[in-house]
Amino acid sequence: MAEIERVLAPASLDEAAEALAAGEATLLAGGTDLMPASHAGKVRFAPMLINLRRIAELSGIAVEDGELRIGTLVTIAELLGDEAVRERCPILAEAADHFASPQIRNAATIGGNLCNASPAGDMLVPLLAAGARVELASKPDGTLVRRVLPLEEFLVGPGRTRRRPDELLATVRVPAAAPDAIWRFFKSGTRPALDISAVSIGLLARKAGNALHEVRIALGAVAPTVVRARAAEATLEGRVLNPETMEAAACAARDEVHPISDVRASAWYRKELIHNMLRRMLSDVAET
Amino acid sequence: MSPKREIAFTLNGVPTRASVSPELSALALIREVLGLTGTKLGCGEGECGACTILVDGRSVNSCLMFALDCEGRSLVTIEGLAADPLGARIEQAFVEAGAVQCGFCTPGMVVQAHNLLTAHPHPTREQIRRGIEGNLCRCTGYFKIVEAIERAAGAQE
Amino acid sequence: MQIIARETLIGKRIAKLDAPEKASGKTRYIHDLDLPGQLYGKILRSGRVHAKILRIDTSKAKALPGVHAVITAADVPWQRPIGVARDHLPLKTDRVRSPRDEIAAVAAQSEEIAQAALRLIEVEYEDLPVLTDPLDALAPDAPLIHPEPHGADGGTEHLKPGAPVAYSGRPDNLAMTFDYEQGDVARGEADSDLVVEDTFRLHYVTHCCMGVSGIIAEFDSSGNLTMYSNTQVPFLHKREFAEILGMDPARIRIIQPPIGGGFGSKLDIYPFEPICVFLARATGRPVKLVFSREEEFLASPTRQPVILKLRSGCRRDGTLTFRAVETIHDNGAYTSWGATTPFVMMQTVSSLYRVPHCSYHTKAVYTNNPYAGSFRGYGNLQATFAVESHMDRMADALGIDPLEFRLKNAQDPGEVTPQGMQFKTCGLKECLKSAAELGDYQAKRRAYAALQAEPGRFKRGVGLASMLHVGGGAKIYPSDGCGTILKMDDFGAVTLITGASEIGQGSETVLAQLVCEELGLPLSAVRVVNNDTEITPWDVGVHASRTTFIGGNSAIGAARKARAKILDAAAKQTGLPAQALDLRAGQIVEERSGNPLLSLAKLIRSLHFSDKAELVMTTHYYEPPSHHQDRQFKGDVSAAYAWASQVVEVEVDTETGAVRLLKVSGAHDVGRVLNRLGIEGQIEGGIVMGQGYALTEELIVEQGRIRNPAFRDYKLVTAPEIPEIAVRFVETLDGEGPQGAKGVGEAPAICIAAATANAIENATGVRILALPFTPEKVYRALREER
Repeated sequence: MAEIERVLAPASLDEAAEALAAGEATLLAGGTDLMPASHAGKVRFAPMLINLRRIAELSGIAVEDGELRIGTLVTIAELLGDEAVRERCPILAEAADHFASPQIRNAATIGGNLCNASPAGDMLVPLLAAGARVELASKPDGTLVRRVLPLEEFLVGPGRTRRRPDELLATVRVPAAAPDAIWRFFKSGTRPALDISAVSIGLLARKAGNALHEVRIALGAVAPTVVRARAAEATLEGRVLNPETMEAAACAARDEVHPISDVRASAWYRKELIHNMLRRMLSDVAET
Repeated sequence: MSPKREIAFTLNGVPTRASVSPELSALALIREVLGLTGTKLGCGEGECGACTILVDGRSVNSCLMFALDCEGRSLVTIEGLAADPLGARIEQAFVEAGAVQCGFCTPGMVVQAHNLLTAHPHPTREQIRRGIEGNLCRCTGYFKIVEAIERAAGAQE
Repeated sequence: MQIIARETLIGKRIAKLDAPEKASGKTRYIHDLDLPGQLYGKILRSGRVHAKILRIDTSKAKALPGVHAVITAADVPWQRPIGVARDHLPLKTDRVRSPRDEIAAVAAQSEEIAQAALRLIEVEYEDLPVLTDPLDALAPDAPLIHPEPHGADGGTEHLKPGAPVAYSGRPDNLAMTFDYEQGDVARGEADSDLVVEDTFRLHYVTHCCMGVSGIIAEFDSSGNLTMYSNTQVPFLHKREFAEILGMDPARIRIIQPPIGGGFGSKLDIYPFEPICVFLARATGRPVKLVFSREEEFLASPTRQPVILKLRSGCRRDGTLTFRAVETIHDNGAYTSWGATTPFVMMQTVSSLYRVPHCSYHTKAVYTNNPYAGSFRGYGNLQATFAVESHMDRMADALGIDPLEFRLKNAQDPGEVTPQGMQFKTCGLKECLKSAAELGDYQAKRRAYAALQAEPGRFKRGVGLASMLHVGGGAKIYPSDGCGTILKMDDFGAVTLITGASEIGQGSETVLAQLVCEELGLPLSAVRVVNNDTEITPWDVGVHASRTTFIGGNSAIGAARKARAKILDAAAKQTGLPAQALDLRAGQIVEERSGNPLLSLAKLIRSLHFSDKAELVMTTHYYEPPSHHQDRQFKGDVSAAYAWASQVVEVEVDTETGAVRLLKVSGAHDVGRVLNRLGIEGQIEGGIVMGQGYALTEELIVEQGRIRNPAFRDYKLVTAPEIPEIAVRFVETLDGEGPQGAKGVGEAPAICIAAATANAIENATGVRILALPFTPEKVYRALREER
């Protein structure tokens, strides 16, 4: 195990960014992934450990310009209990309810879940469906700069993101759902939570009459990262929901993913679930 | 192990100092450094809940928490719950309802029940079951644990 | 004077005596104990499925500061094989047969240092062909798992007295075989109007005790060994450890701290235990060795996986004619109790229902897979799954209601089965009727069957299954007894010293209740001592649902002797005949009126501080009137038999294959309820353990490797998943049982998988012959049917 030479607990984003600019660091937020990963030897600690938890400006949920601004340190429990999240991004609140366990929800942060970039990450599917963007902060030449990336670009592969070593994820920005938005979230498994999904699906769209617009479908645990089901989205865009269009979309989603087989599910079953559950979500939406 | 750091926090109401290496978990701090063994190590991965403690009033898996992150916080373990009226009621309810068999999961269950009843003093049965979804028990099948939590909630009136 | 009425604790809801300590976190499990000067032990495992060990170099590990000892097989040439077939050396000499195999062990001043030392041990292997399918292992040209004697290259056997290794290898991969016959199966088949045959596949599951395995071993300066151990069988282990270590058993003491779950996992000696003793001997210090959770998954026993071919027949009128079973038990690399589960499996095959003709044949086959130990139910979950699936299949084929079909063939009290079991009490028919009524079985089954073909995502079904299990111990050793020492102090309080161990099941509370019943004392007057072989009298161990029955009868025996002594003395003092007296609420009373005559404490003091000066101390040894089976596996192996029927109601999501357990309605012949709270807890916990076996739990073994050694992917049932339950107790008041009770520890887990299979069939029309019913498996079966 590599030695941790320094431990920092900065009080501000500025301080944290400055420390990051100085050298390679391991970032600690909730610790719920970092601790077991370090015990299993899956992460090597950098010489510097930065505990972000004291940075007040990275906490809290605000609404600005019609967007939800979720601080990186917001815990899953806070998301679950937040009125603004329930109103403006209910799919995120729903997914938070299926996240791990009460104890982990109390500790795990949204930023940690995003940076961990698991293909089955529970926050990734609803955020991708919701069109979220992430704001990264760094202090390359003495001034704090921020850049904003769509979540889709941010995620690169399992455990890999576009965050540079000198950057930290400061805020998650989520556009508020339109008044005519419909949404559905599905996570496979026999438990309500405490489960790593074999498949998860997020659906967000605007519904006019029985037709869907601006359809966004995100799929978890079927590719190296959470992905959009673009082909399925295209078959639905602007169309009236009926048995034929729903089946076509379900088939398109099934055919556009190439999941792996592992201890949680076979590739075949994952594809079947994508098909059946997307069709089920669409038909639920059609009925309401 | 990396160089140790001094941290200060409150443990079961008592101001406490300890010297910890940065990799150490809060669970190891409590059990090995401070010698309080009521909090159990069941899996070390946050999957079983046997190590549940309260940090600033909220339950967390102490096996997933870095000891150094205890700095400035208030920790309550099973040993500290007996002094709390709700904690004492829950323990009593666990005894009376038959919610204890081998007992290894019990401290974590009691602490988690405390977290649940603090947030929802009159939970539905469904809320109780969800409230302990992160705590595994191999003996009881959970029925009597749920009953004990209902009983403790009822005793609050 | 206040009249004292006779009161009883029997059947009441009694809180467990150890619950307050456990609920407040004060109980000290093995994980919580540390001895002064203690070192920490860790084991290096092979990680190879099957390989020759070419070279082990421990020099770097030995040089690490803080390391006190690094040992390999070469350091303990006198080690002897452990396990049921004595085919397993704790530290491997020349070859490894599974990834969990122990290569070396370290004792160091901290766990971290011990762990670091393991990484410094260099081992060179040469891989050998791997056998992971027991059918392949039976092929005549299959590579051998145990070809040559162990310890062949150990070389220094002169170091230890009497050291020749007992196990000498096998010319084939057969670890054990079991062959049982009753009647004439061919004739039975000829008599049949209907014959069904299926092959059932039962999977690996493991105990998942919340407290992982651990041990502390320490030698004193005279060479006496003390082990702080989680064993369920301290007295048997004392003897076995003596054999393994070449020690005098009198020099071995086993202390059992409270156990964080047993369920059968602690019935055999596993390598980590002698290895910890080796380390203690090598270092002269106490050594503590505790598993990680991952190690617990990788190196603990499993439930026995079985491939079971069942052929069953009956006449048109529903009379069973014959049953023929052939099983392949994947024995894994070594032999533990899993291989011997046929003892129990054949009982269910031959005697759950009346069947004139039966055959049962098992081959336990060595492979490079994990090996199975004993696990609550001991083969009976597997056998019942097959037998009860067939009961439904036959009933459906004949067009008879499955409840009626079972009732027609069910055992009655008084029956002596061809296998020799004597059912002095038998509540099977009442269990069947009760469970069916509680679960509204017949009406629901018809209604759900009619809905099978209707459209709709969710389908519901009900399923019924019954079970027979030993309920009065099991005489698998020459003795199935338990000893008790009972002493009363000058104040009328009792110390009950019993051989029967508490493993969370509540035995100490039940034993205390039984003693109070005899002595008219409140529970608070009894202390139970049950965890130290130096103090407690012999007991065969906690297994086979025997503790309440055997330990209970033993405690009652000791209490009755104390009672007789007290009443005799009281008779002398009161002038009334002893039979006119009773003990109630700590008083000697007149039996008919309840008039108190004398305080018990006072009477005892008067005995103690008198010219004759005597104490009230009694002993009792109870040996049940059961019999060791003969070589044909015939004999009345238990003093009583437990029965149960359960109705399971499920909902199947046909779009995902997910099966939800909605309700379990159970009726249990428990003889008599002693502690209602305790027995409910046993039954509820057993039901959910059965649910895990049926639906969620599977240790995934691929090419000899366990793929899911964590709770993340080994799915225990969690609180939101539990069903509604309704349980009814059928009290048959067994004549031999303590206050009429029978053992019940294993019974509730046994039927669930079978009943769930039948319920899924009722819901969907699809019968699935392999467990567990995970969403993917059920979905696949539904798709294949379409």
